[in-house]
Amino acid sequence: MTTLTNTRASLAVALLFVSSAVFAASADESNSTLDINAFRGQVVVVDFWASWCVPCRRSFPWLNSMHEKYADDGLVIIGVNVDKERADASGFLQEYPARFRISYDPEGKLAEQYGVEGMPSSFIIGRDGQLVKRHLGFKVRKQQEYEAAIVAALEENAG
Amino acid sequence: MSHKEKVSISAALAAATCSLLGTTFPASADAQEAGDWDFNTSILYYGENDDRVKDYSVKSIARRMFVDDRSLSLGLTVDVLTGATPNGAIRQDVPQTFTRPSGSGFYTVPAGDLPLDDTFKDTRVALTANWQQPLGETSLVDVGGSVSKEYDYLHLGVNAKIARDFNKRNTTVSAGFAYSMDDLDPVGGAPTPLTPMLDVGDTSNRTGDQDKDVLDLVVGVTQVISRNLVVQANYSYSYSDGYLTDPYKVLSLVDGTTGDTLLRSGAIPAEGGPSHQFLFESRPDDRSKHSLYTQAKYYMDGKVLDISYRYMTDDWEIDSHTLELRYRWPLAGDHYIEPHVRYYTQTEAEFWRLSLDDSQPLPEYASADYRLGDFDATTLGLKYGWKTRNDHDMSVRLEWYQQSGDVPGEQIIGNQAGRDNYPDLDAIIAQFSYRF
Amino acid sequence: MKRTILLIAVLFFASGCTSMGVQPWDRDILAKAEMQLTTDELEAATDDHIYFSKEASSGGRGFGGGGCGCN
Repeated sequence: MTTLTNTRASLAVALLFVSSAVFAASADESNSTLDINAFRGQVVVVDFWASWCVPCRRSFPWLNSMHEKYADDGLVIIGVNVDKERADASGFLQEYPARFRISYDPEGKLAEQYGVEGMPSSFIIGRDGQLVKRHLGFKVRKQQEYEAAIVAALEENAG
Repeated sequence: MSHKEKVSISAALAAATCSLLGTTFPASADAQEAGDWDFNTSILYYGENDDRVKDYSVKSIARRMFVDDRSLSLGLTVDVLTGATPNGAIRQDVPQTFTRPSGSGFYTVPAGDLPLDDTFKDTRVALTANWQQPLGETSLVDVGGSVSKEYDYLHLGVNAKIARDFNKRNTTVSAGFAYSMDDLDPVGGAPTPLTPMLDVGDTSNRTGDQDKDVLDLVVGVTQVISRNLVVQANYSYSYSDGYLTDPYKVLSLVDGTTGDTLLRSGAIPAEGGPSHQFLFESRPDDRSKHSLYTQAKYYMDGKVLDISYRYMTDDWEIDSHTLELRYRWPLAGDHYIEPHVRYYTQTEAEFWRLSLDDSQPLPEYASADYRLGDFDATTLGLKYGWKTRNDHDMSVRLEWYQQSGDVPGEQIIGNQAGRDNYPDLDAIIAQFSYRF
Repeated sequence: MKRTILLIAVLFFASGCTSMGVQPWDRDILAKAEMQLTTDELEAATDDHIYFSKEASSGGRGFGGGGCGCN
């Protein structure tokens, strides 16, 4: 674990710089409950990711662009990290910064609750708090499809 | 390794294809992004004891990623071989002379020495190409081809494999095949089996080109047992058909009582010729092999234990066991050290003979090739790896490979008993790898 | 006979395994490069070739499985 200690030390410094930008708009929830009701009336995308999940390197830029495009229309993206070590998550975020909220689920309780069947997984929850769609994996070629599902959820019961 | 080393063992370049079946693009967190090229290159030195085979090799695999986990891999290997290899004849207390395989020269082996043929210095070039991509939601498919060329050998092959995940990707079932067509054009022409080695310039017992086909099939299961443990079991079947004999290897024809190699009849002509009687070897024209391979990788607090076992049995009556252990020990700063131990044992082929007894009828098949004999082999190695400042992987490894064989008691005749009959092997393997 | 035993051994090995495993979010260790079944493909290919040239057996390794289980 020596590597991890070194990583932690250097990342602690980095985090001081990055934290304000990355975490300003996010609720740094280290507990395993996610109060979806707090977002009633908005569309929530709950995306489970990990530093060791290669497709997450491609999903993050896309999630950022979804956030840019639709946050004003009521889209909330929550990236739930399942790394066991916070330092690993921070390392990933340094390379692939997120403009959306990040939440931490190191024991996987939230992942279990949602019934995650593969990494990464994302769940679209409609404005009424009900699960609309779930996506297993992230394929660059399916980006349009993923976006269409978000747009559909946003347009449902909008206003 | 030159083809002379391989052609006698059925699936010559199925080794290349078997390693294609075996190697998989690591689905690890170090994997790359679309548009990236990944180069994995190594230089290798393999050197045997005394004047035996030395191989200098450069191997490179270039991989380009495409969108959504698709990749193209191109491999190139160049081997430069020098050194001598046992020709199958036994030691004698007198010097022995052999006609070179080309038929255009001869070489002499001092009294008491193991007869080694140093005729060939050879260069081998091998190319592979593989395309891998996901298929549907839970499958992965890989198709490819291979070609290799050396002075007297051409290999062409195709391979394909598919893997499908089940059980939240905890279980993976895979299947693959490789088919190769090899053409052999031995220097001087392939000799008719069990005919004598003739004088320099006499190619009357030589025929022309030969070929063989090899089919390999593999099915396997990979299972994640726990967060720290993954295991795999595979069953392989290999069928070789065609010319499986080594055209350059002979057996000594010996006296049934003394065990000494019979002298040739008549005087050796001026251009040269064999001093004694040697018969070219003969192997069956097909071979079926079955293998069972199991492997486990276990992670303990940063260290990784890799243990594997393989059992092989074939219709030449060769049985083998391979047990291999690697223990990867992480050091500070992304360095690691990895000791490696491999233990291998095989029984001799049904037609393996130390020599041919002149007082007995000739068998249909016979070979004195040490690689088909009864031997144990041990490898001891150490690998050291690190990451460069650019986060590239480098490693060096040094290994010692040692083979020691046994001649079945009933095959030792007369004076052979006092001698060291089996060409034991001692080799050093040194490799440096760089991945960027 | 020998072949039947081989086949049974493989199936036996595989049979008890179908409900084992880990949750998809618990694959952090399995995702590491050093935990792949073939960690160093060059070393594996080199060794396969050396041992194939010097012994009567070859190959054995399989394809796929383990790893991060993503996508």
